[in-house]
Amino acid sequence: MGGYRMVALVKQVPDTSTKAGVNPDGTVDRARAKRMLNPFDKFGLQKAIEVKNAHGGEIIAITMGPPPAIEILVEALEYGADRCYLLTDRRLAASDTLATAYALHKAVQYVGPADIVFTGLQTTDGDTAQTGPQIAERLNLPQVTYCERLEIKDGKAKARRVVEGGHQWLEAPLPILITVANSASKLEHKRFANVHKVKELLRNKEEMSKRIFTIDLDVIGAESGRTGLVGSPTVVGKTWKLGEIGGSCHMLSGDSPTHNVEHLMLKLKEDNRGVEELIQ
Amino acid sequence: MSDKPGVLVIVDQLQGDLRPIALELLGAARDLAGKLGVGVQALVMGHKLGDMPQRLVWNGADEVIVVDQPELAEYTTLTYRKASISVIDSMPKPPHIVLCGATTIGRDLAPRIAAHYETGLTADCTELDIGEYEHKGKADPTKVGTYQNCLYAIRPSFGESLKARIIGPWKNPQMATARAGVMIPCGEDTTRTGKITPFTVKFDKEDFITKVIETVRDMSSTVDLTKAKVIVSGGFGLGGPDGFEVVRDLASVFKNSAVGASRKTVDSGWIPYAHQVGQTGKTVRPLIYIALGISGAIQHRVGMSQSGTIIAVNKDEKAPIFQFAHYGIVGDLYEVAPILKEQFRKSFAEASVGAK
Ligand SMILES: Cc1cc2nc3c(=O)[nH]c(=O)nc-3n(C[C@H](O)[C@H](O)[C@H](O)COP(=O)(O)OP(=O)(O)OC[C@H]3O[C@@H](n4cnc5c(N)ncnc54)[C@H](O)[C@@H]3O)c2cc1C
Ligand SMILES: Nc1ncnc2c1ncn2[C@@H]1O[C@H](COP(=O)(O)O)[C@@H](O)[C@H]1O
Repeated sequence: MGGYRMVALVKQVPDTSTKAGVNPDGTVDRARAKRMLNPFDKFGLQKAIEVKNAHGGEIIAITMGPPPAIEILVEALEYGADRCYLLTDRRLAASDTLATAYALHKAVQYVGPADIVFTGLQTTDGDTAQTGPQIAERLNLPQVTYCERLEIKDGKAKARRVVEGGHQWLEAPLPILITVANSASKLEHKRFANVHKVKELLRNKEEMSKRIFTIDLDVIGAESGRTGLVGSPTVVGKTWKLGEIGGSCHMLSGDSPTHNVEHLMLKLKEDNRGVEELIQ
Repeated sequence: MSDKPGVLVIVDQLQGDLRPIALELLGAARDLAGKLGVGVQALVMGHKLGDMPQRLVWNGADEVIVVDQPELAEYTTLTYRKASISVIDSMPKPPHIVLCGATTIGRDLAPRIAAHYETGLTADCTELDIGEYEHKGKADPTKVGTYQNCLYAIRPSFGESLKARIIGPWKNPQMATARAGVMIPCGEDTTRTGKITPFTVKFDKEDFITKVIETVRDMSSTVDLTKAKVIVSGGFGLGGPDGFEVVRDLASVFKNSAVGASRKTVDSGWIPYAHQVGQTGKTVRPLIYIALGISGAIQHRVGMSQSGTIIAVNKDEKAPIFQFAHYGIVGDLYEVAPILKEQFRKSFAEASVGAK
C-alpha cells in the first residue's frame, strides 16, 4: 500500500465548559461530568488527515482509557481515521505520564510500525505535554514538539515548531513522533460523508467491530508492573483549593467612563503604584 | 562542596541567549539545595558560550558543567538528550533533583530524560519545596513508608481550582519543569564563586538525524510576556479579532509592554497562542496587568494573579475578576480603553515633565 502509516493518539477528557459535573468548588466529578475529545488532539488528527490527503496512507487512532472512551474513537472515525483501538484495562488505573507512555508505546508497537505518530501538544486534564516525548523516547524515535506546519517528502519530515520568540524549521527522517500545537491551523469540520458513514457503521455491529478494536495489557504484551499505580514513579501527595485571594478591589462604577478613569488615575497616584516610570 | 547528590538545573539557552528562566530555576534550586544541605549544579550546553558559565556561577550555581561543542550550537532533541544523559551518567550518583524550564526546550527535553531514567517528572510547576511524605495507600505496598527530603512539585491541577503536590521519592533524580516567570532569581552577585567543569560528549551518528534548517526569532515583535513590565490583555469581551487593535493601542502607551489574551480568544483564532496568559499559557508577573473584557476564570487567574497592580475593565460588575483585581472599572471596554490611554498619558507622562 502506498502512502504513510500514521497513528494518532487521542484522549477523552472531562468537558469543564459545561456546568454538569463541575462542583461548586471547581473540582470535577468525573462520573457526572460530560466528556469530550481532548481539543488539542483534534489538531493531531487533522495533521494526519492532511498527510493522508496529500500522500495516501492509513490513520489509526488509539486511546487509553475506561470503556466510555470509545465515544471519542467514534468521533475520530468521523474526522477520518481508518481504524481505532481502545486500550482499556483495570491495571492501568492511576497511571502517571511515565506509565501511560509505557502502555501507549506498547500499543503503538502492537498496531504495527508507524511512519508518523501524532499526539496533541497536551491534554486539558493531565496538562503535561509529556506523554508524547516519553513515548518517542521509548520507541527510540526523533520527535518534533509544538509542530505548527508539516511537509512530508521522500520519506522525510520537514516541520516547523514554535520556539520562544519565533519558530524553527527542522528536517528529520521518518519514522518520527510529532506533537501538534494548537496554533497549527484552523480546525476543519468533520466531512459530511464521513459522519454519514459512521452513522451507518453504528447500526452495523459487525462492520463496526472491524473498525474499532478493544485491547488490553495482555494483548499488547505490556508488563502490568510497569503500568497503573505500581508502575508510576509519581503520586499526588496532596491537593488543596486555591485560596480566594480576597483582594479588596477598589471599584469604580460611576456613570461616566471618563469620570471612572479619572478617579482611577487619582487612586493610582494616591497608592503610589509607580506608573510614572512605565509610560512611554 | 559535598559529593552528596545535589540539585541540577538544566540551563535554557537559545542561540547563546541565556533565558530568564535559567536564572529563575537557579533561584529555586538554591532554595531547595539550602533545605537539603547540598550544592547546586548547572548544566549548560551549546557552542561559544562565552561568559555564560561565569554568569551562572554569579547567579547561584556552585558548579557549572559546560558542554561547549559545535554539535550543540543549535538545540535539537537528540543531541541535547545525549549530552544531558552523558553528564548525569558521569556523576557518581544521580542528582537528587533535576529542574528544567517549562519552555519549548525544557518541555521537549525533560520528558526524554525522565523516560530514559524511568523516573518521575512533574510538568509546569508553580512552586517547589522540600518536605516529608508518608505513603499509606494499600493499593501498592512497594510504595508504603515515610520519606524524607522529598521534592514537592506543586502545580495547578486539572484546570480546576485545585493545587496538587506531586511526589516521587522512590527514585532519583526527582524531576520537574517550572513555568517561566514564577520562581524568583537570587540576583547576580559577581563576588559569588563556583567551579566551572568542562565536559566533552561523544555523539553517535544517530544523534544527528534531525537537522535545524532555519531558526527565525524576531525579538522586536515577539510577545515576551514574561519580560514585559506592563501587560494589556484582551478577552472574549472584545467581540472579535479586531478588538485587539484597542488592546494594542492601550499597550502602546507603556514602555516595555506586551499584549496578552485569554484562552477563549486564542481558541477562537483571534490571536496566536503565544499571547495566552493562564494555566495553559504563560504565567506572568508584570508591574501592571490590565484586563479588558476578561471574566477572570480560575485558569486565567493562576497565570496573572501575582501581578503588581491589576486593573480590570468589565461591563459585568459581578465578573469574578473583580474579586482579585486591585482596581475595577465597570463599563464597556470600547468606551473605557481609549480614555485610559489618554488619561495615562495625561496624568503620568506630562506630570513627570512638570507640565502640571
Ligand atoms: C484545562 C483548562 C485550561 C485553561 N487554561 C486557560 C488559560 O491558560 N488561560 C485562560 O485565559 N483561560 C483558560 N481556560 C479557560 C477559562 O476557563 C475561561 O473559559 C477563559 O479564561 C474565559 O475567557 P474570557 O474571560 O476571555 O471569556 P468570558 O468568560 O466569555 O468573559 C468575557 C467577559 O467579557 C465581558 N464583556 C463582554 N463584553 C464586554 C465589553 N464590551 N466591555 C467590557 N467587558 C465586556 C463579559 O462581562 C465577560 O466577563 C482554561 C480552561 C480549562 C478547562
Ligand atoms: N490516555 C491517553 N490515550 C491516548 N493518548 C494520550 C493519553 N494521554 C495522553 N495522550 C496523548 O499525549 C498527548 C499529551 O498528553 P499530556 O501529556 O497528558 O498533556 C495528548 O494530546 C494525547 O495525544
